[in-house]
Amino acid sequence: MRTFPARVDPHFDIEEYDPEADLMALNMGPQHPSTHGVFRIKLFLDGETIVKAVGYPGYLHRGVEKLCEKLTYVQITPIFDKHDYVAPMTNEQAVNMAFEKLLGLEVPMRARVLRTILAELQRIASHLLWLGTFTLDIGGTIGGGASLMMYTFREREMILDLFEMLTGCRFHYNTHSPGGNRHDIPEGWETAVKAVLDAIEPRLDEYDALCDNDIFLVRTKDIGVLPPDLALELGQTGPVLRGSGIDHDLRRDAPYHAYDLVNVKVAVDDGCDCLARYRVRVAEMRESLRLVRELLTMIPGGPIIGSKPIKSLVQFKAAKGQVYVGIETPRGELGTYLIGGGDQRGAAPYRLKIRPPSLHAVAAVEYLLPGHMLSDVVTVLGSLDPIMGEVDR
Amino acid sequence: MAVDEGPRNYEHPAYDYLEQMPGLSLAMTTVDKVLEWSATNSLWIFPMATSCCAIEFITAAASRVDIDQIGSVVRPTPRHCDVMIVAGTITVKMAPRVKKLWEQMPEPKWCIAMGSCAISGDFYRDIYSVVPGIDTVVPVDVYIPGCPPNPDQVLLGLQRLQDKIRSQRDGVSTEPETRPETAKMILPANKRVGDPDRDPLLTDAQHDASRNLGVGTNTDRAKDARPIGAITEDEAANVRGTVDDK
Repeated sequence: MRTFPARVDPHFDIEEYDPEADLMALNMGPQHPSTHGVFRIKLFLDGETIVKAVGYPGYLHRGVEKLCEKLTYVQITPIFDKHDYVAPMTNEQAVNMAFEKLLGLEVPMRARVLRTILAELQRIASHLLWLGTFTLDIGGTIGGGASLMMYTFREREMILDLFEMLTGCRFHYNTHSPGGNRHDIPEGWETAVKAVLDAIEPRLDEYDALCDNDIFLVRTKDIGVLPPDLALELGQTGPVLRGSGIDHDLRRDAPYHAYDLVNVKVAVDDGCDCLARYRVRVAEMRESLRLVRELLTMIPGGPIIGSKPIKSLVQFKAAKGQVYVGIETPRGELGTYLIGGGDQRGAAPYRLKIRPPSLHAVAAVEYLLPGHMLSDVVTVLGSLDPIMGEVDR
Repeated sequence: MAVDEGPRNYEHPAYDYLEQMPGLSLAMTTVDKVLEWSATNSLWIFPMATSCCAIEFITAAASRVDIDQIGSVVRPTPRHCDVMIVAGTITVKMAPRVKKLWEQMPEPKWCIAMGSCAISGDFYRDIYSVVPGIDTVVPVDVYIPGCPPNPDQVLLGLQRLQDKIRSQRDGVSTEPETRPETAKMILPANKRVGDPDRDPLLTDAQHDASRNLGVGTNTDRAKDARPIGAITEDEAANVRGTVDDK
């Protein structure tokens, strides 16, 4: 049984710290190239060691939940694109699955398989972006400076090109709608996907050279140790939870889309540190490659949108009740809690609550940072992969 | 500046500014031209990157588009930089920081508003916490539309800025012509920096407050605003029409 160091109390009064010590308060952010968005951390330093860290989110609060109460159901999908802007595909799916559950709509099999493929491709793209920025943050681990970022963005562009072939958009797709997808698979798309998968797979092996790099190991091993019990307590999901050794993945445990057709192997690492989170994400990319290859062979024919598409807003107006849908995005469980508006609200939902995985991830910062050096802040924050659009909403 | 008089084996914009003297290994130019050439071809960028556009901006700086080809490199501190690119939604909480960082940049400096959130607030415009366009906080030179703009449009926007700097140095006005019918649409309720109608005694915070309370300079806007959650039957029919057509 592995023993973890005693848990720090993030709320302790800094006045009670050793009065002899020469403490310094340092603000990191909101404008900082390595905070992955506009996140501010107030650090209390004793020399170069962090004594206490306080996180201040809210610099990108755009009132998304309130805005959703103003819009009709079909207008909400593009808002969710901008919500987690590194993985727009999975966010669209989350909100549209909530609508489908509320309205009782059936999604045709072709759309379900396509959605699974898109979700897995988006997972690869998101993790590639994470890998590039993470190694950029910890600085010159392989080849110096921004080398790996240039490589991972090259591969990410390939996947974005696939999405552009399908939807016409590079970034904010708006391709999902309640009851199915808007854009059917174009001719030659499957061949293009296979070509991209073949190109990416050998390059992942090249990235694995990171694990053999001494500098990378020193910067990540035993840094930001998140014990399993604390991870559960803070509500972590996704790679952060699996990097703490807890085997939990909604794709396998509560299958949606077409995940019941394939056998998802969940990557788990019990290192609990930044290196474990890195290993989990790289393993997930490999697993996603395999899943996409498998799913490409089982795309059925038929319509891409439900046999009974949404004909009128009356259907939405009649929608009452409340639903919760949780899906596994690249960052963890994205929950959408929706209360139907009924007649009073027109065709707008009464309430739409988002449970963002990134918000729970940044909550861990206050527990993880004390005791580490100043230079470890960007490593720990980067390994949690927070997206501030999702944190602040 | 001494140059080789032999035939050039490559072209470079710098040669356009040099006048060769026949018979001498000398070239003449003016300080202005050299300054203009160096100012336009080394635009160092300070990324005020907050949300989605930040990702497309990073992509523009990464391998495929590579804005480094026109001499633009990204620096993390305002004190090194010539251009601030505002990429993403700016909230009321963030706006004072943007202004402070803008003031830390040395002259001459320029600002690019990238994406519809930075230009006008986009569909977050009516939200209580969002600034309706960054030009209510800092003066903007170039607007790059899109949600988000493609990375190559970032490159195009930087080239537009180069054109603007050249014409500024030549003394040509580059103020865009605004059509009267669109002026009402695109102008934010808060008066822009440098607008003669802007009350010099009002601080930015007061401008923001007047916007949110619907008083002061913002009465027209408040009149048009509708309560959150309201949707008229006509609008509902419009949405329905688009679905029916499909």
